[in-house]
Amino acid sequence: MKRRDFLSNTTALFGATMFSGAAPMIASAQTTPVTGGTLIWGHSETTQNLDMHQTGTASTGRVLQNVHNSIVTVDKDFNVIPMLAESFDTSDDGLVYTFKLRAGVKFHNGAEMTSEDVKYSFERCANPDTGAVNFEVFNAVESIETPDPLTVVVTLNAVNAPFLSRLAENGAGVIMPKGSGDVQGETPIGAGPFKFVRREFGNEVELERFDDYWDGPAYLDKVIAREIPEPTVRLTGLRTGELHMINDIPADRMAEIEDAGEMQVVKWFPLNWDFVNLNHTFEPFQDARVRKAFDLIIDKEVLLDGALWGQGATTASPSYPTSESYNSDLSQRAQDIDAARALLDEAGYPAGSLDIVFKATTNYPYHIESAQILVEWFRMAGVNLSIEQLTWADWLSQCWVDKDYQMTMMNFFTLWEPDFLYYSLFNSTGAFNYRGINDPEIDKLTEEARITVDPAARADVYKAVQQRVFDETHDIFLWFRNGSIGAQPDVGGLDSIVHPNGSNLNFHKVWLNA
Amino acid sequence: MAYILNRLLSVLLTLFLISVITFAVTNILPGDVAMMIMGTQSNPEALAGLRETLGLNDPLVVQYGRWIGGLLTGDWGQSLVFKEAIGPLIAQKVVASSLIVVMSMAVALIAAIPLGVWAAVHRDRWQDSTSSTAALVGVSLPDFFWGIMLILLFARALGWLPSSGFVHPGDDFLGAIRHAFLPSLALGLGLMAHLTRMTRATMIGIMGQEFIRVARAKGLSEREVVWSYGLRNAVGPVLTVAGLQIGYLFGSIIVIESLFNFTGMGWLTYQALLNRDIPLIQSTVFVIAAVVMLTNFLVDLLYVVIDPRIRLS
Amino acid sequence: MRRFFKGKGLIGTVIVLAVLLVAVLAPLVIPDSFATQMNMRARLSGPTWEHFFGTDQLGRDLFYRVVLGAQTSIMIAGAAVLMSIVIGLPLGIVSGYFGGWIDNVLMRLVDTLLSFPALLLALTISAVLGPNLTNTIIAIGVAFTPFLARIIRGEALRVAQMPYVEAARAAGTTDAWMILRHILPNIMPAIIVQSTISLAFAILAEAGLSFLGLGTQPPEASWGLMIQASRDYLDVAPWTALVPGAAVAMTVLGLNLFGDTLRDVLDPRTET
Repeated sequence: MKRRDFLSNTTALFGATMFSGAAPMIASAQTTPVTGGTLIWGHSETTQNLDMHQTGTASTGRVLQNVHNSIVTVDKDFNVIPMLAESFDTSDDGLVYTFKLRAGVKFHNGAEMTSEDVKYSFERCANPDTGAVNFEVFNAVESIETPDPLTVVVTLNAVNAPFLSRLAENGAGVIMPKGSGDVQGETPIGAGPFKFVRREFGNEVELERFDDYWDGPAYLDKVIAREIPEPTVRLTGLRTGELHMINDIPADRMAEIEDAGEMQVVKWFPLNWDFVNLNHTFEPFQDARVRKAFDLIIDKEVLLDGALWGQGATTASPSYPTSESYNSDLSQRAQDIDAARALLDEAGYPAGSLDIVFKATTNYPYHIESAQILVEWFRMAGVNLSIEQLTWADWLSQCWVDKDYQMTMMNFFTLWEPDFLYYSLFNSTGAFNYRGINDPEIDKLTEEARITVDPAARADVYKAVQQRVFDETHDIFLWFRNGSIGAQPDVGGLDSIVHPNGSNLNFHKVWLNA
Repeated sequence: MAYILNRLLSVLLTLFLISVITFAVTNILPGDVAMMIMGTQSNPEALAGLRETLGLNDPLVVQYGRWIGGLLTGDWGQSLVFKEAIGPLIAQKVVASSLIVVMSMAVALIAAIPLGVWAAVHRDRWQDSTSSTAALVGVSLPDFFWGIMLILLFARALGWLPSSGFVHPGDDFLGAIRHAFLPSLALGLGLMAHLTRMTRATMIGIMGQEFIRVARAKGLSEREVVWSYGLRNAVGPVLTVAGLQIGYLFGSIIVIESLFNFTGMGWLTYQALLNRDIPLIQSTVFVIAAVVMLTNFLVDLLYVVIDPRIRLS
Repeated sequence: MRRFFKGKGLIGTVIVLAVLLVAVLAPLVIPDSFATQMNMRARLSGPTWEHFFGTDQLGRDLFYRVVLGAQTSIMIAGAAVLMSIVIGLPLGIVSGYFGGWIDNVLMRLVDTLLSFPALLLALTISAVLGPNLTNTIIAIGVAFTPFLARIIRGEALRVAQMPYVEAARAAGTTDAWMILRHILPNIMPAIIVQSTISLAFAILAEAGLSFLGLGTQPPEASWGLMIQASRDYLDVAPWTALVPGAAVAMTVLGLNLFGDTLRDVLDPRTET
């Protein structure tokens, strides 16, 4: 029932709320693509490490989506479909994957893609020295063979049910030319529709059309992604015409901009999801009662309204809302300060005895707003919360790497693949387990899901994971946030720009009307 | 000559001290270079290995020697986040910042000198109190506040000027001026207020002197007395004070360039601080301090050339 | 001329007293929660009878925030200036009074520190220590110290060279007595004038640091932080910036007027 609601919600947001420019002439011109022009995009975040294997930030993946192609990809319903491999096949025992590569695919360095490049890319990702975020996708790989230039055979030593769908994201499935690893961090080379030209860190990335792209050349000559984290500066740039388009329209302006009707607005759901993190190695949070009490203190609807002006929908699960594994039986705990106080008393933390530092990053201004709202509720519950604002670099090093925090808040993009989501975030050995969660029950379930081939049975295992995470309040889930793009009337092809994962933007079929 | 030589030696000594202070401060930053390079991929063994290869385990004196040796031989190292050689990066940003520093200085002087003279000539009348009050209000608001107001007015409401970005003068001269205009104005307003007050005070001092009375006695018009005799003598001290304000400007560009996304030295320094790019922090902080010190030295020197009496004291 | 200065001085004194009064009294009269009380139904509301100065993005009353924020801003600025005096005073006096190699060494150091723009120094210190209220005070205090030490040294040197001081020295008065009895009282006016002006600069510095996120932390109400938070809502709710902006402007203007007049009265020699 709930899933269906989400589905209709998604299509409504995705399809219906496209506004075209005021002049009918522009609206008609939109239907015929034009080649040429430089599109200037006001990007909401700063790109980090440009090596597609190593980078963990959604901001970088969003831009590199245009530079790289993966071996397979997904459609809007997350069915795996061909990309650089024109077909793929799985053996009945689920251990052998055979990929038939597309012929005549060129890399930006002019070389033609062969099975050697695929082998190189997979091995590079799997190699611990590379430091790839997705290295464990290849944990079960026994061999990668290349019987001919257009065939790759990957053999696993154990069933890894999510293997194929994890290759559908660039993080694991990207194909790079053989031997290009050393330069990927500074000048990424791939087989995507745009060539990487240059980046000035913290300022802009320049991409140029790749004329030999296997799926036909893009329309735009160039894309310049200016990195403007300040919402108002970004919006001002769009309004003054300095920018052709921006992603992430400031939530509080959405209504106003839609009403004005001068700009094209594309909205979709969801862009990402947010949660509040409690460090499980911090003594008070080792007690599940304290974690549950903290959950009870937060009114998620009011927080969504306060921090994001209602631009999203609350959720008790981080599973992609339209996916099979979304556990719709779960619903968030309603705010109950008295119950929270009782729980805290029971756990031995009477009012006034808890002083908690909440670290929030200025990289997401709405996290700072959320933190300020939280402070008030926690005060009512007798918990003294103080805020420490961190820059993105400091958040990454203090909270992510050093796990030096008590309470924080984060959001994740692109985690539609349930194995990536639940194994990385909640398994005690997961790459994204920066909360120090160590729950044998979850470890068991996430391992079990990997060897469960039947999709429905696998979805049930992930639902059990969600139930467990909720019961134990390992994290406090808040909401899915809406994605949005604002563009000048002369930008065409915006219906093709958003990748199914909700975060990546693809400019292949976008054009500028002269 | 001996005086100049002496001053030069002291400049070198000060440069040395600046480098020591910069190095010392940046070495107590939490997190080190190895940590920054590894980022989210770091683990203790790999970190230890990288620290060893980077020489972070050497005594501080050795590390300082390596850094200063690099500075002197032109090898400024690599920026961790920009992935570029620091020397050329800074050179490029200094050009950008020079544009707004020079423009804001010009804006400030063009407005401040007539205003200050006007106030001095009409001393203690409404003209004086008006310009003094305006000047005081000018220095009473943070420059980023002026910046915000300028963006609202010229970019948002009127749409005359761009609100962000930097264009290289070599690529598009007019575009460069347009992009630099609002940040320069935001920087220049506070400076203008300060220089107006300075010009007024200097002019009042000069107008009371003997040679002005002589000029008046010779029957020159008041306009001639003020502009050719009075102002000519006031320009030196006013320019000196303006020169000494370079340091103030180099502090302010950090805020202003960040506000306007103007990618100059201030923006670079802020990025370096935000991202804990230690090699870059060291170099930007050192360069800014060195530029400030050298400008002050040149202003001093110029003053000596103009007024040789200084040498005696 | 007398009358104008009287006017100027009067305005300055009134403003400074008013701001001080608000900073001291407001927290006693108005509960803290008034500045942090949120109202999601009245966000970014313009000035109304209920909210004299309007509300901010979380529906917090700007009147209470700006009034209670006075304490934070004044306290940070005051503590920072006090700190720079506490460090700068002994340095300056020792340097100016004893002269010689101590003077040379200390002033070389001070001159070097003066090459670092104060805001850059404060930013770097705040980035090193991590942003919070105490560290903001330290950052601004340290950044202002070289400037104050320089001024105090100049004053101490001038006083030390006065005939009666030299005479007293010849008569065998101890250095400690000399500093306490003669130097300190004589340089006091200059210190008071400089502190007033530094206070104005410190308020601006706190605003600058908070603006870059390296100063006061939310949900604390400080003027700089309020301007910073207003940045995202400027074109729809300009009052969110104008209210704290006006508070900063008024206070700094008052301090400048007050300082100017004070200089004319106490210390007429130093013009700039």
